[in-house]
Amino acid sequence: MSNPLVVIHALTGVLSIFAFLLVFVELLSPSEKAIGRIKIFAIIGTILIFISWTVGGYYYVTYYGPDIKPAIKEGPNPWIHSVVMETKEHVFLFLPFLAILATGVILSYDAGLLENNKARSSVLALCVLIILIGLAVAGMGYMISAGARVAGVG
Amino acid sequence: MRFNIKSLNYSTILTICLIVLLTILGELSDSFKTLLTSVTGHHWVTKSVLSLIFFVVIYFLISKTVKDWADSNHLIIDAIVVTLLGGAIIFGFYAWHFMH
Repeated sequence: MSNPLVVIHALTGVLSIFAFLLVFVELLSPSEKAIGRIKIFAIIGTILIFISWTVGGYYYVTYYGPDIKPAIKEGPNPWIHSVVMETKEHVFLFLPFLAILATGVILSYDAGLLENNKARSSVLALCVLIILIGLAVAGMGYMISAGARVAGVG
Repeated sequence: MRFNIKSLNYSTILTICLIVLLTILGELSDSFKTLLTSVTGHHWVTKSVLSLIFFVVIYFLISKTVKDWADSNHLIIDAIVVTLLGGAIIFGFYAWHFMH
């Protein structure tokens, strides 16, 4: 059974991707009413990324580092830690700042997003980036969990 | 709520550069990794805290000098390019590091 911290980390991470997906969808054809929802989704997405960051970091330092990492490195697939986990834990650090940037632009332009196509396109591009990095990080998380199971510690 | 978007862009770009730099330097130099570890007890936690503090400080520093917050959409594209490059550099570095 998975550690509850891993479940919270993964769940908040996936929900944050979903929040920015909603921002993206709402921004494709925005209306006055949608602007309010877009702001709420962006703020929720950013908060969820921070929760995922904190919980994942606590799990990484407390459980993964001492128990899981050595087993994976000594197991049949050491690259799971050396390449996948190392990449995941550092690329993840980009997400909170990209989320703050996207949310900052949304809150600053507010209803101006309806008329300013450049600003809207920029936020759409940022959402795509956040979603793609989020999905990549989630995929890497799945690989690490599988690697831990193969190493006998998952 | 209104942010200085130019400053937000610059601080995002510089923070991502800092994360990439700290990550690679930490792997190439044991003494630097030990230094990072000594701050909080774990090098990754230090990188996390440092990047957050750096982001906030850079935002307020640039906000004091750059006042025109709008018309900076091209900077968002720069932030996206830096993010993609940063991710590719980190992945490429760890793949190279593992193979050698």
